[in-house]
Order: sequence, then C-alpha cells, then structure tokens
Amino acid sequence: MRTAQEQAVATAIIKLMRGVVYREADEDSWTLLERHAAPVRDHFAAIGVQVVVDDIEGYAYLRNADDEDTEEPLPRLVRRRSLTYNVSLLLVLLRKRLVEFEASGSEGKLVLTRDQMVDLLRLFLPDSSNEARVIDQVDTTIRKSAELGFLRQLPRQPGHWEVRRILKAYVDAQTLNDFAGKLTEYAGAHPGGDDD
Amino acid sequence: MEHDEIEVLREGHPAWRLLRAGNAALVLSFLGQFFVVDNHGAVSSTELAAALDDQLHLLNLSAPDEPRYPRPAPDYLQDWAATESGWLRRFYPSGSDEVHYEATSDLEKAYAWVTGLRARTFVGTASRLETVFDLLRQIVHGAESDPEARLTELRRRRDKLDREIAAAEAGEVAVLDPTALRERYQQFAGTARELLSDFREVEENFRGLDRAARERIASWEGGKGELLAELVGNRADITASDQGRSFQAFYDLLLSQSRQEELSELLAGVQSLDDLHPDRRLRTIHHDWSDAAERTQRTVRQISEQLRRFLDDQMWLENRRVLDLVRSVEAAALASRESPPPVGLDVDVPGIEIALPLERPLYDARPAAEVDSLLDPEAEADVDISALFGQTFVDQARLADHIRTIVPPSSTVLLEDIVNFYPVEQGAAEIVGYLALTDDDLEVTLDETQETIIEYADSTGQRRARLPRVTVSRR
Repeated sequence: MRTAQEQAVATAIIKLMRGVVYREADEDSWTLLERHAAPVRDHFAAIGVQVVVDDIEGYAYLRNADDEDTEEPLPRLVRRRSLTYNVSLLLVLLRKRLVEFEASGSEGKLVLTRDQMVDLLRLFLPDSSNEARVIDQVDTTIRKSAELGFLRQLPRQPGHWEVRRILKAYVDAQTLNDFAGKLTEYAGAHPGGDDD
Repeated sequence: MEHDEIEVLREGHPAWRLLRAGNAALVLSFLGQFFVVDNHGAVSSTELAAALDDQLHLLNLSAPDEPRYPRPAPDYLQDWAATESGWLRRFYPSGSDEVHYEATSDLEKAYAWVTGLRARTFVGTASRLETVFDLLRQIVHGAESDPEARLTELRRRRDKLDREIAAAEAGEVAVLDPTALRERYQQFAGTARELLSDFREVEENFRGLDRAARERIASWEGGKGELLAELVGNRADITASDQGRSFQAFYDLLLSQSRQEELSELLAGVQSLDDLHPDRRLRTIHHDWSDAAERTQRTVRQISEQLRRFLDDQMWLENRRVLDLVRSVEAAALASRESPPPVGLDVDVPGIEIALPLERPLYDARPAAEVDSLLDPEAEADVDISALFGQTFVDQARLADHIRTIVPPSSTVLLEDIVNFYPVEQGAAEIVGYLALTDDDLEVTLDETQETIIEYADSTGQRRARLPRVTVSRR
C-alpha cells in the first residue's frame, strides 16, 4: 500500500509527465506540486529532468537538465521536435504579441480571434488569389499550435483563442535565435525566393 | 479654453462623443443605471448583455414591429467598448474565459453632466461658503509651522467652544432651520455621489501611470546602470504619486474603526430627520464607498504586481532580445515569402509520453452476427410490435411555432416562459426538442452558470427537469 504522502507525490509526478500543469486550470495538481516540491524534484533529477515552476505565471513543466559539464550526458527524455514553417511563424508572431500585450500594461489574458491571426500571418504567406486556401492554411496552423498547448480555444466563444503564457517558456530567446539563424541562412541562399 | 482645444475635445473626447451619439439616451440610461447608480464593478459580458436585453425588450415593447433598437444586446456592448466609443472597457480577466466589461470614467462624466441638467428645487449657496471657509482654514493652519501661531488658533477655537457651552448651559441652543438643513444635505448628497464616481477616474489614473512606466521601459535605449536607476525610480512611481498617496490616505481613513462607526451613526441620524426627505440609498453610501475603494485598491495591487514582474531585470532583457529576434525572423520570412523555407522552430514537446504496448487489449475476434429476416409464419402472430410505435416523435415545427407565437422578432425569452404558455406534453423529449431546434431565425443558447427548473407532468406523475438556463432568441 502507498502512504498518503507517496500517493500525492506520485500523482504530482504523473500530472507533470502528462504535460504543463496550470494553476488556473488544475488547482488540485498545483497544490500537490507546491506541497511536495522536494520529492518531485528529486525524482526527476535522478533521470536528468528539471522541474520548472513559475509561480508568477502559474505554470509548471519539465525540461531537460543542462548537464553539458558531465562527461557522459544522459539520453534526452524530453523530446524535441521540429515544427513546420507555418506553425513556427505563427508561434513567433504570437510571442511578439505577448510581449506587446505586457508592454501595454493590459491585464488578464491575451485573446485573439481567428481573423486576427489570419491578419498576422497573411503578410508572410505567399501571395495567393485563393483567399479560402489561405484561411484553411491558417486554420490548420492554429489547430496544430493548439495541439501543442500554446493556444486554447475559449469554451463558449468559438473562434476566440487564448494565447497561453507557457509559450514564453518554450519559445524563448535561445530557440528564437536558432530559428532566426536558420532563416537568415536560407534567405541568403535563396534571394528573392522565386528561383525554384 | 481656446477654440481649437474645445474643437479637439468635441471631436475626440469619449464623453462628448457620447453626448452627440445617436443612441445616447440608450447608452446613458442603461450604462448609467447599471454602473453609476447601482455601483457595479467589472461584470461578465453575459450578465451585462442579459441586463441590456431586458432593457431593450422594454424599450421595444411599444412598437414590436418596428423596434427602436433592433440589434442584439452583445452587438451594442461591443460597439460601446470599441476604441471609437470608449465608454466601456473590455478585457479578459485572468481566471475567466469570458469578456468582462467595466465603465470608464468618461461614461461617468457624461452621465454626471446629463443628470446635472435636471433642475434642482433650490441651490444652496450658504453651506458652500462655509465649506470654503473651512477649507481655507485647513490650508492656512495646516501649513503653519510656527508653534505660537498654531497655539493662537487653537485657543481661538477653544474660546468659541466655551462660548457655545455657556450658551447651551443657559438654555440657548442655536438650531439650523429646515432650509439650512436641506441645503447642507443637498451638498452632502452631491459630494457623496461624486466621491463614488471619482474612484473610476482614480483607477484610470493608476492605469495611466502604469502604462507610462511600461512605455518608458519598453523604449529605453540607455545602458544598464541607467536602466536600473530608472527601474528603481519607477517602482515607487505609482504609490508615491499624488494620486497614490491621496488614495491611500482616503483608504486608511475609511477603514479606521472609529470613522466607520461615526459614519454609520451620522448617516443613521440624518435619515431620522423628517424634514429632509433623505434619499434612502445614501443611508448606506459608506458601504458603497468601501466597495468601490476596495475595488480600486485591488486594481492598484494588481497593477503594481504586474509592473514589478515586468520590471524584473531578466524578463526585461529577455523581452528586449525576443523583439529583436522576432524582427529578424520577420525580415527573413518576408524575403523568402514566395518559397517558404523548409525550416522550423525546435521546441521541447510538453509532457513525456510513455507507451506501454502490453496495456492494450489483445485482438478480440467478434462472432459474426447472423441475420435471419425470414420469420416463421406461425410465430408472427405473437410478436409484440408496440415497441416500434411507442417511440415518441417530437414535432419540432410545432415547437418552433410556439416560439414564434410568443417571441417577437429580435428579442429573447427564457425557455421557462415559453413552457409556461405551452406546457410540456411529451416530457423530457420535448424539452430536448427545444434545445435541438436548428431553424435559421431562432437561436437557442445555454448559460451553464445559471439553472432553470422546468416542471411537467407525464404518465408517472409530476416531474422536474433541471438544466442550464436556456434563452431563445429570434432574429
């Protein structure tokens, strides 16, 4: 039999492994996590995974611990994934909107409609007379970003999406820097872009 | 004021624009009553739209065929919150998925001006002169640092009190006559209400301070040392501003136990004076003050907390860098717009997946179902076929007709009201039938936050259905 303490720690660990834990959406898991932070951290530290808890923003997630100094790094447990170009672009533009949202002193959460996201992306998509195709593309992109957990559709307002703050943790300056580097390299190799 | 300045205000100031708006009567009467008179804070869009809906329904009742305000309530709210209007503030509070609305101080100003137009039975001037004297005394003596002068003033006040005491002991009590009382009451009522409306402006001033600080930080081009100096200066900005200190002093004063008690007693005393015909709402005005001040206090706390987070050194630098990087991503993306590059962000996948193959059930072969449609002619006679006919059929066209009979075009009614007129005949199936209506001109909406109970009778007796609040609108 597990003791109550063990049960709580195990629950917190499983919740974290399933994905980002939000204070707002799952108070119970959040409290468990706060109360049993030390054993949870120890559990993950043993397998080279770091628990990041952001008290201010109210989310917690797992990250590969930086163990570059050690001779033999552990195999990666948290998987990295390359996103498609369109999804990446949308995430970058949303990241910018988050910064602007904060800089304007707005409170609460950033909510965008599908049309606003179409407008954000349209400038960067190839010119197309087929408006419907552009919108379909944006819809697919939005859906993918939602699957990754960066957008959340408001339950009673179809077409309204909350930009989740976890985006700041995942699309950070380091990630952006890598992407910008790759893009600039590509743009340099394909000037004008019309030649292929 | 100069001609051009007034011109700019006339064109640009939300309060003035409201006065010039075509449906100013609707905006002022509805928002004025809801936010100013009833002293509401931020409310969810559903709540506000429901209240507006009721109002629109009443207003449209006189001419159901040609309604004066034909649009649905949420449309109006959205218009009033648009940047061109600026009479409502629209935002998503953290912790809620619903848009919330809050009145702006511009709405308050326009409303105050319009209510000021109503003729007063008389305008008291004497009490104002007293107030002016009082204020002057406070200013002059408050700024006096010479102890001698202060003592002279205190003695003067004591002498005056002594004279009053002596007069009272001799049986002479000077009583204010009813006019003087009414006049003072009028001034009290005015000030009390103004105070309430001032909070909204106080809150907006705080937001303005916050915005200014953020703008300054976001556009900062100097070095890190200067930045830090600026940050430390800013941190104190909001609470140390004139606005912050005056508000804090007010708040402390209001919250002190002795003041609260004194206020309650005084207000109760005023209510008992028959000549005054006191306004009953003012009896509890100090509670309204507390509510409004509490609201403001909460906003201020929130704002300073967010600002502190925004000022956080590391985050500032990160945001800085993110914006730079986004700019270069945007430029590169534009340059290769016609042939999208096959590259993307590399991000960690949230969550760690564990797939345990043995957790899945093994393949389970299902026996093939045999169908034999040929009935033995002799068994045929005993088959009970009532089940085939026993299924209820709910005629949705009939339900839609009920709605069209009761609900005038472009208005909204609760499902309970419809059921009151046309009692449920087919039990739960009929209620579900209403919810499933898909006619173009009808819209059925559920509000999970509220509850409706519908009673109906079926073969087993009286029954009750409990469901989210259902409203039916007709376009």
